[in-house]
Amino acid sequence: MKRNALSQIGPVALVAGLLGSLAIAAPAYNAAHEAPRAVFLTLPETSPQPDLAFSITQDHRGNWILRIDATSFQFTEICTSVAEAVPVGHAHVIVNGEKVGSAYSPVYDLGPLPAGRHHIAVTLRGQDHRALIGTDGLIVAEQTLTVT
Amino acid sequence: MILPSNNRFVFAFSTLTIAMTSRAHAHEAWLLTPAEIAALAQEPIPAIFTSYGILGLAAVVGCVATMVALLVEERLRPHFQPLGPLLQSVAANWGPALLRIPLGVMLVLAGTGGLPRHGTAHWVEPTLLVPDMQLALVPGWDWLAPFQITLGLCLIAGLFTRVAGLVLMALVVLGWSVFGIKFIDYAPHFVAPAIVLTLVGGGIWSVDRLLQATDWCAPPADIMPAFWRTAQILVGFGFVYLAVAYKLTQPTLLIAILQHGNLPTFGLPYAVIALIMTGVEIICGALLIAGRLVRPVSVVIILAITFLAVTLGETPLFHANLYGVLAMFVIIGTRWHAPRTTIATGKVLA
Repeated sequence: MKRNALSQIGPVALVAGLLGSLAIAAPAYNAAHEAPRAVFLTLPETSPQPDLAFSITQDHRGNWILRIDATSFQFTEICTSVAEAVPVGHAHVIVNGEKVGSAYSPVYDLGPLPAGRHHIAVTLRGQDHRALIGTDGLIVAEQTLTVT
Repeated sequence: MILPSNNRFVFAFSTLTIAMTSRAHAHEAWLLTPAEIAALAQEPIPAIFTSYGILGLAAVVGCVATMVALLVEERLRPHFQPLGPLLQSVAANWGPALLRIPLGVMLVLAGTGGLPRHGTAHWVEPTLLVPDMQLALVPGWDWLAPFQITLGLCLIAGLFTRVAGLVLMALVVLGWSVFGIKFIDYAPHFVAPAIVLTLVGGGIWSVDRLLQATDWCAPPADIMPAFWRTAQILVGFGFVYLAVAYKLTQPTLLIAILQHGNLPTFGLPYAVIALIMTGVEIICGALLIAGRLVRPVSVVIILAITFLAVTLGETPLFHANLYGVLAMFVIIGTRWHAPRTTIATGKVLA
């Protein structure tokens, strides 16, 4: 009888202890309101904060060339499984809401674009592909290009 | 007298788990579109994940639900006892195939780049065990791809199954040393099936059986129950860890993924659904650690990951390791019983 009661109390005590301690620890942890670390790499305030802009020009072949001007940011082709929170990595190039490629250097060839309006965005990524977040949020630059 | 020290351990475990999540990743994050990621960056954490009162109340509800489930199990257990011999027969005969064949296929696909993370082309980026662990990120370890494929083929064929289980364990340890702490997301859920493979062998549909080598490299019978419990504890730990690392402390990511998959909410806010999912995963993990309700908990987890995979449009092979080990938990149950083959052997008369 005593053994039977213990076999019921043991698992409940484990669940109670686990849920209780998490109910105490989680709100304290979540109070920082950080963006999900699985997706974002938050740069510390003491780190240089990258500034991002880009220009688009058409070359003689008709391809659209992106020139990314990222200050306080270092482009690298090296990707790692886990990156430090430093402004080093690459950029993701997004056209009309779809990621079309990664820029591992400041110049990126978008290729030809069909006629019409295109929303082009560039975001900075860490070496493990997580999106960089600075003190002002996601580091992103956007432009609308009209191709005639 | 025992409970306070247990609770201290549990509190330390919870705190450690939260502390270890700083570099956590999951393949689900790659499902999000650029617009969803931009929105996620600005999304505040829902109040129910920052409120001591609400989380405390949720903890009480979780404890009551656990107590009720334990009492119901006590009542229902006699009704399921007649299934024992049938499950024993399954465990000894074709049960192991449920674990080793999907797991083998998963390893072969990972080694060939056939199981890439969302957004990566097929057959381009070989990975180690799971889509996130791209071998291209760790120069010099490319040989793990053919090694993994060979291991997967052995598992599919049921060739040296118990040895393959030991090799899989070694592969997980190696993966941890190569990829670092982030491998903790996956390690428990691969070591557990590896342990189970060493315990159950290949079953009847295996080359081992043809070679009459089913007992080759079998662990001593007296330590098998401890190995079996270890597998349950590892699977349980894995779920508790993932629930804390990805759901409890990154709820906006979970909510974004649920919204991306248009998960049916039955009128509830997504934040509440996320909290329920988190609680269920923690409780299921804790019960596996405690070795209670192993069969019903395994069924619940199988149904939950299947529902999520279907909703998010993912291949079930992403979780083949879990399906296999949970299926074995359902078949064998809480306590280890050495499977006994029920098919008679003898000469075939021409």
